[in-house]
Amino acid sequence: MSLQIILIIAQKELRDALRNRWFLLYTIAFVALSLAFSYLALAGAGIVGFAGFGRTAASLINLVLLIIPLMALTVGAQSLAGEQEKSTLSYLLAQPVSRVEIFLGKYLGLALSLLASLTLGFGISGVVIALGGAGAVDPLAYVLLVGLAFLLSLTMLSVGLLVSAFTRKASVAVGIGLFLWLLFVFFGDLGMMGTAMALRVPIANLFLLSLSNPLQVFKMMAILDIQSTLDILGPAGLYAMRKYGDGLYSLLLGVLLLWILLPGLLAYARLAAKNDF
Amino acid sequence: MRSLIFGLALALGLLIIALPAAGQQDAFDLHAAMAAAQPGDTIRVPAGVYPGPLVITQAVTLIGEGWPVIAGTGKGDVITVEAADVTLRGFVIRNSGISLDRENAGLTGLAPRLTIEESRFEDVLFGIYLKQAHDSVIRGNTILSKDLDIARRGDGIRLWYSSNVLVESNLVSGSRDVIMWFSSDCTVRDNIVENGRYGLHFMYSDNQVIEHNILRDNSVGIYLMYSRDLLLRQNLLTGNNGPSGYGVGVKDVDNLHATGNRMVGNRVGIYIDNSPRDPAATLLAERNLVAYNQIGLEIQPLTKRNTYTHNVFLENGEQVALTTGGQLSGNHWSREGQGNFWSDYAGFDADGNQIGDIPYKSQSLYESLMATYPELRLFQLSPASDALDMAAKAFPLFQPKPRMADEHPLMAPPTLPEVPGLTPPPTLANLLLALVLLALALFILAFGTGNVMRKT
Repeated sequence: MSLQIILIIAQKELRDALRNRWFLLYTIAFVALSLAFSYLALAGAGIVGFAGFGRTAASLINLVLLIIPLMALTVGAQSLAGEQEKSTLSYLLAQPVSRVEIFLGKYLGLALSLLASLTLGFGISGVVIALGGAGAVDPLAYVLLVGLAFLLSLTMLSVGLLVSAFTRKASVAVGIGLFLWLLFVFFGDLGMMGTAMALRVPIANLFLLSLSNPLQVFKMMAILDIQSTLDILGPAGLYAMRKYGDGLYSLLLGVLLLWILLPGLLAYARLAAKNDF
Repeated sequence: MRSLIFGLALALGLLIIALPAAGQQDAFDLHAAMAAAQPGDTIRVPAGVYPGPLVITQAVTLIGEGWPVIAGTGKGDVITVEAADVTLRGFVIRNSGISLDRENAGLTGLAPRLTIEESRFEDVLFGIYLKQAHDSVIRGNTILSKDLDIARRGDGIRLWYSSNVLVESNLVSGSRDVIMWFSSDCTVRDNIVENGRYGLHFMYSDNQVIEHNILRDNSVGIYLMYSRDLLLRQNLLTGNNGPSGYGVGVKDVDNLHATGNRMVGNRVGIYIDNSPRDPAATLLAERNLVAYNQIGLEIQPLTKRNTYTHNVFLENGEQVALTTGGQLSGNHWSREGQGNFWSDYAGFDADGNQIGDIPYKSQSLYESLMATYPELRLFQLSPASDALDMAAKAFPLFQPKPRMADEHPLMAPPTLPEVPGLTPPPTLANLLLALVLLALALFILAFGTGNVMRKT
């Protein structure tokens, strides 16, 4: 396995992403919306003297939850299936490079392209927030929020790649990706809400259930990052704080890493075993 | 060699400890001076460490010069004032006992017209405890509690049946409460209370003026209970969080007038519980700023006769919440055609009179569900909760009845009186980090578009 080959493939993947219209559209939407949110957050700054970072961060979290999974899932889903459809994948496989290198290179390239959109969006809105005097009291919280959003995008990228590894056509893969997006962003949570109401699920179980959704896990970590308590999440949040204490953050991080590793490994296993091009 | 150095160090240390004690304790015997004093005398106490407990039985004025220390023994009270008209100024009072049921205090005042000023209380269970010490003054003191679990701490300041007391410009940090029990006609102003349980706590204490205080990082900023005729003016309440965190909690209070206060970044900005309870009484909140709290105003659904006017409700997670769901009635959300400013008001002002033409309604399916099913708070900030509200707007069948309606919402925030004490975030550090993020983005883009790898 050669790092240089991985980097070359990553660079090629990154270049493809920058040419991808969907990717550009999502990036522009993300940057524009985060800019709009941070600008709106400044509206109150004149009254208090500065704006509350908590509320700004809350709307940024909301935005990340909406757009980043969409971006990562579609980019990931398009990746392998798209190359297979265009037959460039078999061309690549015919080169003296291993499948691990191809997979890692692709993953790295896509991850970097997602990181570029995230840092662009958060960077521009960060400048607006800072100049407007609405920044975080602890500026590192903002950077950590970007890091967490990046982790979230990696989970969705892994899931997207998994979809991609098991489909032959890019359009099908993207369709499944969009369906998964709906599932992660809306239906999963709505289903859990309905279950909680209908069955009066105990909060301990509800909390564990919510860990099945990486978006919820990201949200909890982001809230812990900004407020260092889950008070805002009501009884379930208080339960989690009481039950897991200082280990809560590590637990959540572990869940996110599992969501990155497991689908990623499965996707690679599929690519490694694939013979029908 | 090592033992020689050790011996020298030990000798030096002993010398340092012994010198002040030897030099000053001999020069002035506090207990003898107290015993010899006549009522009305002024005793100047030079710097030094004086052993407690000290019991003051004459109407004397004690003035500490160079921060003399009255050191308790770690048992009982440090200073007890049994005579009226005593003044203490400029002392360090430390090391009381830790017995909560005996209420060990730095200073216990048992007689009227006590003045305690410009003193420091350290390592005391209760700080200043006044029992039937009417017309006293507590001014300019710093009170630091013992480093105990919050349930085992005492109150920084406690008034017990002590009317007409002035509590002014004190700093109380890490104690339990600053509490007034059965103490009417007090003025509490310009104090800072932080890292305690209830910053200011009023129990059965009528006719209070509470103004210009800063209450930060307590469990509850100001908790008003079972009292009447309170004026709450231009206080700052910030960072009062935790499972039952409130900026201002109002329980069974009649005739509260809250004006010019700022509740910023608390769990709940204002919490109203059965206030007013007297059918003839009211509650008036005007020109308060309620901003960036998780819940701006939380009210028990049976609350009546509250009036809210010219308040600013800015970017609270929930602007108005009802404790167990339902609708509010019998309250006024405007006065003389002037309502409040709501940052989420989505109306218009066609006639240009600065009053919105359609009412502000607090109405959200998700928030109503959260009131009935608190466990659903787990899904706060997630897009699914927004989707619920959007669906409810699209299909009014699911839309809950509005919890309250402000018929005359203000289009622009009214001018509010100044409340100092909020620290703005560090602009430069935030800006630099944002630029670092942008640089990272550009670096990745450069890597993606460049030919760096091909050359090698």
